[in-house]
Amino acid sequence: MIGEAVERVVRSTRIGYTAACVWLRYKLPSWLDRLSGRDPKARNLDGIHQKNADQIYRTATELRGLLIKMCQVIGTRSDVFPPAYVKTLSQTHDRLPPREFDEIRRVVEEDLGKPLDAVFSEFDTKPVAAASLAQVHRARLLDGREVAVKVQYPDIEHIVKTDLSSVRRICWIYEKFDPQPMELLPLLDEMNQHLALELDFCREVESGDRIRLLFEDNAAVLIPEFYKEWCTGRVITMEFMSGIKVTDLETLKNAGIDYQQIVQGLMGIYTKKILACGFFQADPHPGNIFIQPGPRFVLVDFGLAKELPEGFGLGLFELMFSMMTFNDQSMIRAFDELGFVTKTGDKSTYVEIARRMIDQSENRTFEGEFTEEMTDELFAAIRENPIVQVPIDFVLVARAFSLLSGIAHTLGHRANVLEAMAPGATQIRN
Amino acid sequence: MSLDPRTSAGDPLPESLPTEAPIEFNEEQLLADPEFDEPLIAAGVRCHGGFIDGEYVSPRTVVRAPAIDAWQARLRREGSGVIDISSEFMPPQYPSLEQSKLLLCEGVQKPIIRSLTMISIVEGFGAMIRDVPIPDLRAAIKEDIAGTALAHLTTGLFEAHARDEAGHRDQGGHKQMWEAARDLAFENPQIPGDVLARLMQGRGRSRRPPLFPTLPEKVEGLIATMANVMVIEIFADGIFSWGEALLGDPEVSAAPAAASQMVSYIRSDEHPHVEYLRTALSEIRCRTLVTVDGGEIPGREVVDQILVQQLRGIASSRPREQREALYDEIRTDIGETNLASELLRKFSALDDGWTFPRAEDEQIEIALS
Repeated sequence: MIGEAVERVVRSTRIGYTAACVWLRYKLPSWLDRLSGRDPKARNLDGIHQKNADQIYRTATELRGLLIKMCQVIGTRSDVFPPAYVKTLSQTHDRLPPREFDEIRRVVEEDLGKPLDAVFSEFDTKPVAAASLAQVHRARLLDGREVAVKVQYPDIEHIVKTDLSSVRRICWIYEKFDPQPMELLPLLDEMNQHLALELDFCREVESGDRIRLLFEDNAAVLIPEFYKEWCTGRVITMEFMSGIKVTDLETLKNAGIDYQQIVQGLMGIYTKKILACGFFQADPHPGNIFIQPGPRFVLVDFGLAKELPEGFGLGLFELMFSMMTFNDQSMIRAFDELGFVTKTGDKSTYVEIARRMIDQSENRTFEGEFTEEMTDELFAAIRENPIVQVPIDFVLVARAFSLLSGIAHTLGHRANVLEAMAPGATQIRN
Repeated sequence: MSLDPRTSAGDPLPESLPTEAPIEFNEEQLLADPEFDEPLIAAGVRCHGGFIDGEYVSPRTVVRAPAIDAWQARLRREGSGVIDISSEFMPPQYPSLEQSKLLLCEGVQKPIIRSLTMISIVEGFGAMIRDVPIPDLRAAIKEDIAGTALAHLTTGLFEAHARDEAGHRDQGGHKQMWEAARDLAFENPQIPGDVLARLMQGRGRSRRPPLFPTLPEKVEGLIATMANVMVIEIFADGIFSWGEALLGDPEVSAAPAAASQMVSYIRSDEHPHVEYLRTALSEIRCRTLVTVDGGEIPGREVVDQILVQQLRGIASSRPREQREALYDEIRTDIGETNLASELLRKFSALDDGWTFPRAEDEQIEIALS
């Protein structure tokens, strides 16, 4: 008990210290510039960006848990954050410092109920990827099949619980003292549920099978086969598939893979999953998407696969469509269909929120792309209009499209949802 | 659809063509609405267009319609006709009117509701025409384009088209009008949950390689897009006939007059789209295109080849693929009813089939009117 309490204090202090350092690194030079009559905007911030990114990376990789998730989002946004942040924090997608192999071996042997060499003829002690909840090792089964083995960190459930508990306290204080607080605690409950899902590897295997079925008629979508005999609640043994990370521009270019085709393919895949099939991977960050020549798309990590309510896809389509045509009445109907609720019944708030989102786009029109600026503005607008309750499904979908938008921008293109779903006859940009 | 020369409002062309009519307009003029006596409100939704002296008048036609007539008149005065697509190339609507009625009478509503919903969505996607990348046409075309439909694509014509299809601000467009017609006829039916999945079927076709690699990509892209949309708009006439007849049939429709009328309004709104696209493509056809290396290609060669390719694609292979997919869907839907095999037999017996009227190696001439 004492150990856990100390750990909580240490984590909170470390996060607060990092935030203060980052802030002061920007503010102190700016104040000094003003005092000495220099223009703060003229200062080259590259060095400060790098120092801050390095410190955030160090804190996140040491503390892991929720901080890693935040870093992964920043690492996809080359259109928003300076290159130093993107380059440094994108390493949290798959280049986290790995755990000691002994810890990993213990989980595998405990869960499979056998010594490692009773299942695998080879097991690489160096992981091919390390993420926030687990790491992946290359191995070979006794029958010679090459596999990837995803192994959950032994203490991750405890770390997540600690982080959530700290964040919950911060949210409680915020809701007590902010004059117009957003209702964050229900969102945190949802997040808690989702993390519980991510930690259940049996469910992840089921979700991967389901997504493979959705694309059985599309040879360009590759989902690794799971070897169920060697899958448990904390271990997944699957077919090993190689590919180039979707944001590794240089390697993709050298392989002669067209960036535009990657973006079009990815948007087609995710739009089909979200809008057409109502079942999707809510975490499409670059560490989960690999490209083979063709292009063919290797999708991995189905921990945060989510079932959407019936009619959600059509509702989201109607919302985008009404935003594109500036049709207020249709926007209100679409927000209603998606499950937004106002406490007072004043639905003009929806229109205000949609307009603020549209204003974030380049031409002040909505052409079908949910950028991060738009989702940020959505949540800012909601914060200022506390009468609105937001369905968590919408939050997850907006985040997924925002992540895809980040990938598309890194590749020099746009992640247009409407274009991705346009019937063949109307794919007019082609 | 009759493809005789007609005005953009759908009336027969007057014998004496205007010679001094204006041919230069600004965007505001091309988007201007007539002064309606009353707006069109369908199933509680404010739509575009309205009524003057009890007659429906399409939106944004007060200047646009005579402008298109004037550009066409100029083309004809200069000895160049306007492109005409023969109705013999038009694939029939599937399921046919008789097949659709059979399904509805037997209580199999889902395929029809799905079709109507997909039509409404596809109409809405017509708004994306405003996002077509437009090249510098004055540099891409050797001859002057002042006073042509081509010169007005980005200053009103594409925007009017987009607004007609998808609606704009408080006015619904064809998307909402098809939805209203469906909801009137079938009393707010349940929308099948697989509509968007069906719509996205067949995605992932590989990109068409350029027919004219020496032309700037945007120039061929623009011509291909306009040809594609024009052919689809012309072929949509078969859908309108089907929709008007089916939704106007009291045996299967709860509001035959209102639902059928709604489709007829959409049909009349589509005339200016077909006409401005025919005009702009014909204007390119009688001009010369400049290649990336400064060479020249006759516009006629480019437009005709692209049109033939589009016709073969849209009227030949695509209907066949869609027909097969739709048949499977309907078989699944029918499978949910009793006596499914008997119904499927009757349904299949009503299929009169259709094949593209020209063999693969047979030449297609682009006609003018």
